[in-house]
Amino acid sequence: MSTPSTTGPATGRGMWRVVAEREVSTQVRSKAFLIQSGLLLVGLIGMVVLYTFLGDRQQTSTVGVVDEIAATAVDEASTIARSTDDNAVLEAMTYDDVAAAEDAVLAGDVDAALLPAASGEGYELVGEDGVSPTITQSVTAAVSQLVTTANAAEQDVDLAALVRGAEVGQRLLDPDAEDAGLRQAASFIFVLLFYVTALTFGLTIAGSVTQEKESRVVEILAASVPIRALLWGKIAGASVLAIGQTVVLALAGVIGLVATGNLDALGVIGPAIGWYVVFFVLGFVALASLWSVAGALASRQQDLGGATAPLQIILFAPYLIAVTAGEGVRTVVSMLPVVSTMLMPARLAEGDVPAWQLVVAILVTLVAAALFVRLGARVYENNLLRTGNRISFREAWARRAPADA
Amino acid sequence: MLEAISLTRVFGSLTAVDDVSFHVRPGRMTGFVGANGAGKTTTMRMLMGVLAPTSGSVTWNGSPIGAEDRRGFGYMPEERGLYPRMKLAEQLSYFARLHGFSRRDALSRADELLGFFGLEERRDDLLDNLSLGNQQRVQIAAALIHRPTALVLDEPFSGLDPLAVDAMVELLQREAADVPVLFSSHQLELVERLCDDLVILSGGRVVAAGSVDELRSESVERYRVVLDGQDAAWLRDLRGVRVDDVDGSTALLTLDGIEAADLTRTVVERGPVLEVARVRQPLSEIFREVTR
Repeated sequence: MSTPSTTGPATGRGMWRVVAEREVSTQVRSKAFLIQSGLLLVGLIGMVVLYTFLGDRQQTSTVGVVDEIAATAVDEASTIARSTDDNAVLEAMTYDDVAAAEDAVLAGDVDAALLPAASGEGYELVGEDGVSPTITQSVTAAVSQLVTTANAAEQDVDLAALVRGAEVGQRLLDPDAEDAGLRQAASFIFVLLFYVTALTFGLTIAGSVTQEKESRVVEILAASVPIRALLWGKIAGASVLAIGQTVVLALAGVIGLVATGNLDALGVIGPAIGWYVVFFVLGFVALASLWSVAGALASRQQDLGGATAPLQIILFAPYLIAVTAGEGVRTVVSMLPVVSTMLMPARLAEGDVPAWQLVVAILVTLVAAALFVRLGARVYENNLLRTGNRISFREAWARRAPADA
Repeated sequence: MLEAISLTRVFGSLTAVDDVSFHVRPGRMTGFVGANGAGKTTTMRMLMGVLAPTSGSVTWNGSPIGAEDRRGFGYMPEERGLYPRMKLAEQLSYFARLHGFSRRDALSRADELLGFFGLEERRDDLLDNLSLGNQQRVQIAAALIHRPTALVLDEPFSGLDPLAVDAMVELLQREAADVPVLFSSHQLELVERLCDDLVILSGGRVVAAGSVDELRSESVERYRVVLDGQDAAWLRDLRGVRVDDVDGSTALLTLDGIEAADLTRTVVERGPVLEVARVRQPLSEIFREVTR
């Protein structure tokens, strides 16, 4: 590219790179682009932080005690409580006597107190006006376990023999279900992110085409480079920007999850993030040529809304389906082009997707991209140099362009 | 040489350009004149390939023109078009790079042309922030940026003050002295001053084409005679001339049978004479004659 060919006409080949370069350099300096990227980044990091904050907050309950056995029971109870609720923690606070412990309950310094029962036998849980089920269940279980063990030893009973066959174990049929919240959140983010990114960059492509028509610079461009080079340059430029932004956001999401210590969450949605980038590239390129066409059909910025309406619907429909449709419908439409970009990563985030469905989705999108680009190039060439009113789609397709002689 | 051969363009029921043929020779400024709606812009767009002719063709150095040939041309469209929100130097170098210039060559070429118009200080200004005259200068710079092999300029001088016109003409002579230059204008006195060749269009048809001198010589020769105080009315009776107008001692006449030398001798014999001069017919008159 640096060969000094200062004389003679250009061959027109490779000029799409120059066009793409201008698209990129103009966009990355535009305030709108910087603000939009910044907002998406802040929003994404905010979600990671929010997830960490909500997900990792430990529910620490304190229980007042006056003797060693009760303190051990509370520690034991903490282990039991965690088996039902990841974030539940019980802590023992030792007080000098029963009165002090009761005062602490009334003052709210502790959530409850585990005190020797007034009757002299066993323990009682003392609360202000109630004791939370977590504390009640776990502490009761812990005390009964401790005391039973102690009694068994005292009575010389083989406790192991006594409880043999009484264990109730656990077998999880769907261990992932535990992450359902995370998976649903991630899938929603994928859908929303593609919608926002595809719409923003799509409108940017269309706007940039229309701007060239409106400012008439397109006549000079058309006299300098082949119209197809213009189209390719625009698609390439916008795709580089959109994909670049998507990769940055994906990396920010991954780094955010790592930085906040959510490695387990990364394990769950990491592959979905990777697939999202793949489907984004395909889906975006498929649509990019259609956005250029919409831009070429509008002669002024005011016409853009109408010209891009069908594309906005193409994007909004899968968004609606993604959010509302049932399982069967989602499975089928997730293999359609463009829709797949939103739905496949979402489905991957929610659970496993059979490999054949991924392959079908990718193939269908590739075919659609090739088709859209051909169709787009034809309509773009036909209409780029036409001015006046907004051109109808039927007209745009039918009329032959003033091509190079 | 750039040549239009029987170019015709029909828009619906309107034939905007009708069987137009002419050529633009290298090293010569060819003026393209005609009333509004005569078909100048349509013809130029067909020459540049941004509009397809209904019939007819364009040739470049004798062979049918191709997209590659046209890419070497410099074009200034009727509806000015540049990126309004792009810096001047960046914008011009972008056009240079579209023509295959390297990044560095493109920038130095852009600066060179901006420097010619004294716009080097404003190289980083947005086009939008320039006066209309300066925008027009940048527009012509955009047409010249790649050292074009031919120039097609649609109304390049409209809206420019006389000094700006001179500067632009100087630039054209420096940058495009040996390539074919076609420019349209309806400022006839300007065309007269600048042009070597002329193509006059009327109602979509070529009504006159050729060098300015040829066109002049084809038209009738007129003379102005100014007598010293004497009433010039007697010239009406002179054989071999047709008097078009008499105003006191001044008469405007057309030779109709006698030679210029005969006229001069006859007049001098009759009394004191201040002037016997050939009247160079202004272009506007040729224009009126052929478009009538």
